[in-house]
Amino acid sequence: MADEPRNRPKISRRDLLKSAGAAGAAALIPGRAAADAPSAAPPASAPAAVAPAGPLMNLTAQETELLSAMVDRLIPSDDMGPGALEAGALRYIDRALSEAESDSVEAYRIGLAALDRYSRYSRGAPFSELSDRDKDSVLIDVQLGGATGAGVGFVGSSGAFFNMVKSHTWQGTFGDPMYGGNVNFIGWDILGYPGVRMRVSEDDQRQMEAGQLPPARRSAYDFGQFQVGGGED
Amino acid sequence: MRLWGPVTAAAVLTASAATAQVPTTFIVESPTMTTGEMMPRDYSPDGRNVSPPLSWRGLPPGTQQLAVICQDHGAGNPPPWVHWILYNIPATASGLPEGIPFDPADAMPPGLGGATQGANGWGLPMYRGPAPPGTSLHHYHFAVFALDAALDLPPGLTRAELLEAIDGHVIGQGAMTPHYSRHPASADLTR
Repeated sequence: MADEPRNRPKISRRDLLKSAGAAGAAALIPGRAAADAPSAAPPASAPAAVAPAGPLMNLTAQETELLSAMVDRLIPSDDMGPGALEAGALRYIDRALSEAESDSVEAYRIGLAALDRYSRYSRGAPFSELSDRDKDSVLIDVQLGGATGAGVGFVGSSGAFFNMVKSHTWQGTFGDPMYGGNVNFIGWDILGYPGVRMRVSEDDQRQMEAGQLPPARRSAYDFGQFQVGGGED
Repeated sequence: MRLWGPVTAAAVLTASAATAQVPTTFIVESPTMTTGEMMPRDYSPDGRNVSPPLSWRGLPPGTQQLAVICQDHGAGNPPPWVHWILYNIPATASGLPEGIPFDPADAMPPGLGGATQGANGWGLPMYRGPAPPGTSLHHYHFAVFALDAALDLPPGLTRAELLEAIDGHVIGQGAMTPHYSRHPASADLTR
C-alpha cells in the first residue's frame, strides 16, 4: 500500500495560536480561527524587528542563547510568518525580569540550566544544538513533567518552568507593544487582531466580518484614556 | 508490586475490549524489548523518548487492520495511564519501526500509510514513554489488536473511544509487557 502524506495541520504553531486566547491581546480576537485570519502587512515605516544580539540585562550570554532557542520553538517563525523572536519576546521577558517579574530571575536561571542539562542527558547534546524536532521533543517532556524525574535540577515540576516561559513568551508576542514586545505588531498580525479601537462603526463591523478592515496598529497607551498603571490603587 | 506475565496480560486485554467472539492470540515481539525486562531508556524521557519497535506474527486469517495501545495499569486515575495509541495500521505491516513521528504533519514510515495516532493520557496524539515516580518500577503493556475490518477511524481517539470503535471487530490479540524505572541523571552528569 502506498504511503500517502499526512494532510493534517501541525500541532505547534496553529494550536498555540488557537489557544493563545488567554494571553492578553488575544482575548480580543474576533470569533474566527486566528491562524486563518488574513495577515496584514506591518506599517511601512515600522523598524525591522531585531532580536537582542548580546546578553540580556538579567541573563548571561549562555542563558540568553538557551532562552532564545526555547522561545524560538514556542512560536516559531515559519511559512505562516514571523515568530516570537521577531516579535521581540526576548526583549519583553528581559524587561519583565527587571520590573514586574523580577522575582522570577532565579527561576529562569535554574530552569534554563536544568533544560540544558536535561537536553545533554537525554539527547546527548546542548539544547541549542539540537534539531528543531529534537528541541520540540525535549520541550514536550519538559512541559509534561517527564523531565522532572530525570534529576537534572528542575525545582518542582519541569512543567512549571515551561509554563512560565510560555506565558511570558505569549505576553511578549501578543501583548501591547508598550511593554517591550509585539514589535511591529507582529503578534497582532499573526492573530488577525483588528487593533485597539475606541469606537467601531457599522461600516467597520461589515469590513471586519468580510476580512477587509485595515488593522489599527496603535498601542492602547497611545490613547488618552489609558495610562500605565491606570486602574490600580 | 504487580508483575505482569502473558496470562495476566491476556486477561487484561480481554477485559479491555469487549468482543462478540473469542479472539485468538498472536505473538508480539520487539528487537529491543522483552516482556519482564527493563525497557531501554531511549523509550523514556530519560532518553530520546521515541516509540519502540514492535513486530507481530501469527495474525489470525481475515485480519484487515491493527491497533496498538501502550498503557500502564499501575498508574492513572482510574487506571490505566495511556502512553500511546496507534490505529488504522494496515494488516500488511509486520510491525512498527522505532520512532513513529510525534508531529502529525510528518509522514508515517513506509508501509504504514493511513495509520494515525490517538490521544494519550496527556491528550496528545503521540508516544510519550514511561516516567514512573521516583525509582518505582512500572509495567508497560503494549497491546496489539487484530481487526476484521479496515476501519477508517479519525485521528485523536482516546483509549475508550478506540475500544468502542473496534468493539466487535477484534479477532486476535497479542501483547508484551516490559517494565521501566527511571535513571536519575545525577551520576551521568558528573562523569
